[in-house]
Amino acid sequence: MKTLARRTVLALLCRLGRTAGTVARHAGEMTLLAFRVAAATLTGRVALRDVLIQLQSIGVGSIPLVAVTAILSGVVTSQQGGYQFTSSIPLYVLGSVVTSSIILELGPVMTSFVLIGRVGARITAELGTMKVSEQIDALHSLGRDPVCVLAAPRIIAGTISMPLLVGLADFIGVFAGLVAARFSIGLGADSFLFGARLYWHSWDLLYSITKGFVFGFIIPLISVHMGFGTRGGAEGVGRATTSAVVLMIITVLVLDATFPPLFLN
Amino acid sequence: MIEYIDVHKAFDRPVLSGVSLTVETGETLSILGPSGTGKSVLLKTTNGLLVPDRGDVRIDGQSVSNSDGGALGGIRRKVGYVFQYAALFDSMNVFENVVTGLPDGEAKRARSPEVLGKVCDALEDVNLDPAVVLRKLPSELSGGMRKRVGLARAIVGRPEILLYDEPVTGLDPVNTATISRLILEIRDRTHVTSVVVTHDVEQALEISDRLALLTHGKLRFVGTPGEFRASADPVVRAFADRRAAAEAALQLVEEEDKEIEEES
Repeated sequence: MKTLARRTVLALLCRLGRTAGTVARHAGEMTLLAFRVAAATLTGRVALRDVLIQLQSIGVGSIPLVAVTAILSGVVTSQQGGYQFTSSIPLYVLGSVVTSSIILELGPVMTSFVLIGRVGARITAELGTMKVSEQIDALHSLGRDPVCVLAAPRIIAGTISMPLLVGLADFIGVFAGLVAARFSIGLGADSFLFGARLYWHSWDLLYSITKGFVFGFIIPLISVHMGFGTRGGAEGVGRATTSAVVLMIITVLVLDATFPPLFLN
Repeated sequence: MIEYIDVHKAFDRPVLSGVSLTVETGETLSILGPSGTGKSVLLKTTNGLLVPDRGDVRIDGQSVSNSDGGALGGIRRKVGYVFQYAALFDSMNVFENVVTGLPDGEAKRARSPEVLGKVCDALEDVNLDPAVVLRKLPSELSGGMRKRVGLARAIVGRPEILLYDEPVTGLDPVNTATISRLILEIRDRTHVTSVVVTHDVEQALEISDRLALLTHGKLRFVGTPGEFRASADPVVRAFADRRAAAEAALQLVEEEDKEIEEES
């Protein structure tokens, strides 16, 4: 029995060690990739045309889905808040609850999830397919650096687009919450905005945009890294894409959890 | 001149175990061997796509394995690489694909008549009509056409060395003959040094000045087509005259596999 317990503990420790090793390897490789992207950008080796194409694809192309997500987030937050505020709490407080929830949390996080599903998965699958079909090797053999041609434009575009998308999501989400509050609990726009202003901190918006900036950098960084590391045909592309999506979601949630103690205390 | 000096490379298991070989300037050398024996790995060490674990590869005396950044870029501009499945960029049309084979400065002037002329010349060199294929995407081309576009991309920058990775795999006999003829025409016209990795013995015998046979990560034979045909080695004979000697070779390879397994 003791031997069995010892074996189980050892197996768990081995597994933990392997996982820690894998996480450390990925973290190291992504740090190196980030440095190489920074170096390529600062030395002017990234074509503006490539960045503009990615801005169109990542930024402009995501606007409709981000808008729909923000509208639904605002409406649901407003309705659920209104449902809870039926006792002695003044209804205008709902304005503050909706605004803070959207700007501090739902705007950046829901926009990140949109970007992970719509952009991150696509980047990993695209670069993974290029890797397994030797297109990345072809770039190398043609004297082109895949970091300059493929990685940097996507990471730059993500880092620029995301804060703007988060700002847009914040605005649309709060507006949708305002409209929903009027129809669900009959709270007028003036009262909603009064409540929103009452507990408003001017840095809340900066906090939200900063989250967007960090998530906008990390999502394409992970997806490019996973795409470049793809091995073994169509199955490998599928595996890499799934792993990338899981890694992006976990990373965004972990980073999101580190923001309040760092910036809101 | 390409020099492979005691090249070792291992992944999960040893793939290349001390390959030493010299390819003279202007020579065409074909590398034959069973699947998974390291032919493509050896080819990829030539332009630094893979770095040997031990040993070195030199091009005109310059070490590929110890070069990086600008030096490696300079070496790669001397070398054209024709990939097994062409490795054309899916999102680019034929013109854009071939333009990437030009040096950076010229590729940036993609709209100039001079660049357009070079791309059209390269496509005509591989028997493709620029008017027909120039704006097509790789997905709109047949397998043979894709291979020829891949070849056009490799030769448009006028490299001194051409590396062919399985240039006729998956092609019908007519396209195989077309590619073989193109390899010969390009060699005769440009005096390029060529290394061809292939399974097709007939093609190798037709186009090569010398052949090398790689088995178990080591060179088993290097010689002219005449010496290849006359070899008494059963494995070489299996490649030269497949049907007659395949059985004998299979037996020999199985015995060698057993010995290697026992050793490891």
